[in-house]
Amino acid sequence: MNDFLIILIKTCVIYGCLIGAAALMTLAERKFSAWMQLRYGPNRVGPWGLLQPLADGVKFIFKEELCPDGANPWIFRLAPILSAVPAMLTVAVIPFAGDVNLFGVDCGNLSITDLDIGVLFLVAIGGLSVYGVILGGWASNSKYSLLGGLRASAQMISYELSLILIILCVVAMTGSLDLRAITEAQNTGNPLSWNVFSQPLAFVIFVIATFAETNRHPFDFAECEPELVAGFHTEYSSMKFALFFLGEYCAMIVMACLTTTLFLGGYSVPFWEDAPWFVELGSFCAKAGFFAFLFIWVRWTLPRFRFDQLMHLGWKVFLPLALANLLVTGAVISLA
Amino acid sequence: MVIVKRKTLTLAERLYLPEILRGLSITFRKMFQPKVTRQYPEEPLPTNEVTRGQPRLRELTEGHLACVSCGLCEAACPAYAITIDGQETDRFIEREPERFEIDMLRCILCGFCEEACPKEAIFMSTELELAGFTRESFKYGIDKLKRSTEELAPRMEYIKRINERW
Repeated sequence: MNDFLIILIKTCVIYGCLIGAAALMTLAERKFSAWMQLRYGPNRVGPWGLLQPLADGVKFIFKEELCPDGANPWIFRLAPILSAVPAMLTVAVIPFAGDVNLFGVDCGNLSITDLDIGVLFLVAIGGLSVYGVILGGWASNSKYSLLGGLRASAQMISYELSLILIILCVVAMTGSLDLRAITEAQNTGNPLSWNVFSQPLAFVIFVIATFAETNRHPFDFAECEPELVAGFHTEYSSMKFALFFLGEYCAMIVMACLTTTLFLGGYSVPFWEDAPWFVELGSFCAKAGFFAFLFIWVRWTLPRFRFDQLMHLGWKVFLPLALANLLVTGAVISLA
Repeated sequence: MVIVKRKTLTLAERLYLPEILRGLSITFRKMFQPKVTRQYPEEPLPTNEVTRGQPRLRELTEGHLACVSCGLCEAACPAYAITIDGQETDRFIEREPERFEIDMLRCILCGFCEEACPKEAIFMSTELELAGFTRESFKYGIDKLKRSTEELAPRMEYIKRINERW
C-alpha cells in the first residue's frame, strides 16, 4: 500500500512538473525569441508575464471547436491525443535523480519506473507520435495538412533511424538498455567519463536528429508556415490545437532529458559522486534546461532547410555516419 | 551574357556546424542588448509643438475662452466636425460660444481650424489618445476642449513663428 502511494505521488509530481515545464516552455519560447529580436516578449500577465501560459490555456478552452467538412471526425479527434500522449508517456522512464529520502521516508529512485528496457520503451513510444501528425494531416481533408503530415512522417521516420543507431552506440558502451544503468555508468565523479567525451560525433548527430525528430526548426517541415499555412494542424482549433502544442513541447522536454541522460551523465554531478538527491536533480535540470534552451535558441537563429536538403542530410550523411560510428564503437569494444 | 561565379565553399562552411555556432553566438549576444520596444501606455510617444494632435480651445481668462464664435473654423472644417452656437457676453470681446462641439470621430486632425482662427483660440494639442464606449462620448463640448494658455503655449509660439514667414 505504501509503495503504491509513493509511486502514485511520484507519478503525479513528475507529470505535473512535465506539463508545467511544457507550459513554461511556451512562455520561454516567446520570451527568448523576443529578446533575440530586441523585444520584451509577453510581460503583461503576471510578474514578467509568468501567467501568460495560463491566459493562453484559458483562451484555448474558450475557442470554438471546428471540424472541417469532409473530415473524418473520429480520426480528426484522435490525432491530437495520439500526438500528445506518447510524448508524455516517454517521461516515465527518465531517471531524474538517485535515491530520494524525504522526511525520513525512503521514496526510492526519482523516476516513475526504472524499466530494464527503458531505451526501447522510449524509442517505441516516441515513434508513435508520428501517427498523431500523419493522422491529423490526413483526417483534416485539407491539402496543406496532408502535405505537412506526409513530410513530417517521412522526416521523422528517416531521422529516427540515425537516432536509434546513435542510441545503440551508447547502449553498446554501457551494455544495458536501462537508462538508470546508463546514467550510473557515467556517474563516476569525473565529467570526462560522460559519453559526450567518448562519443562526440554521436552526440552531435543525436542533438541534430532530436531537432528533426521533434519537428523543430530548422527541420519543422510539419508546420512550415510560409509554404503550408500551418502544416498538419492547419484545420485544428481550440484545445485540439493546444494538445498538438503540448505534445510538441513535451517531446522537446523529453528529448532534452534523453540527451542529458545519454550523453551528459544524466543526474551525475561533476566531481561529486555521491551527491544528495536534490543536488542531482538540480544538476539534471540544469543540463536538460540547457538543451531545452538550445531548441529555442536554434529556432530563432537558423532559417528552415529545403525538404530535399533535409532528406539528403538524413539518408546520405547521418545514416552512414551513425552506422560508421556504431561500427567503430563495436570494434573498439570487442577489441578492448 | 553574365557569368556569375559561385564561391566555392571551404570544408568548414560545408560542414555547417562552425557557421551555425557563429550564428548562435550572434543571437545569444543580441539577447543582452537593450530592447527597442516602446512600452506604450506607460511610456507614451514623444510629442513636441509640431505634433498635430486633437484640437483644443484656449482659455483666455479664468473660465472664459478666447473664442468669439466667428464660425471660421466651422466653415474651414473639411469634415464638418465643428458645431458652434454663439451668444453675446458682457466681456470685452462681446461674443462667446454658447456651445462649441467637436465630433472627434469626424475630426481628421488636419489643422485647418487652427489656421483659420483669427483669435488664437483653437490649437492642435499634443493629445493623441482617443477612446470611448459610445458615439455620443466622442462629441467633445467646451468642458472637454478647454485648455489653459500655458498648456497650449508651445504650439502658439510655433504657429506664430510659422505665420511670420508669410
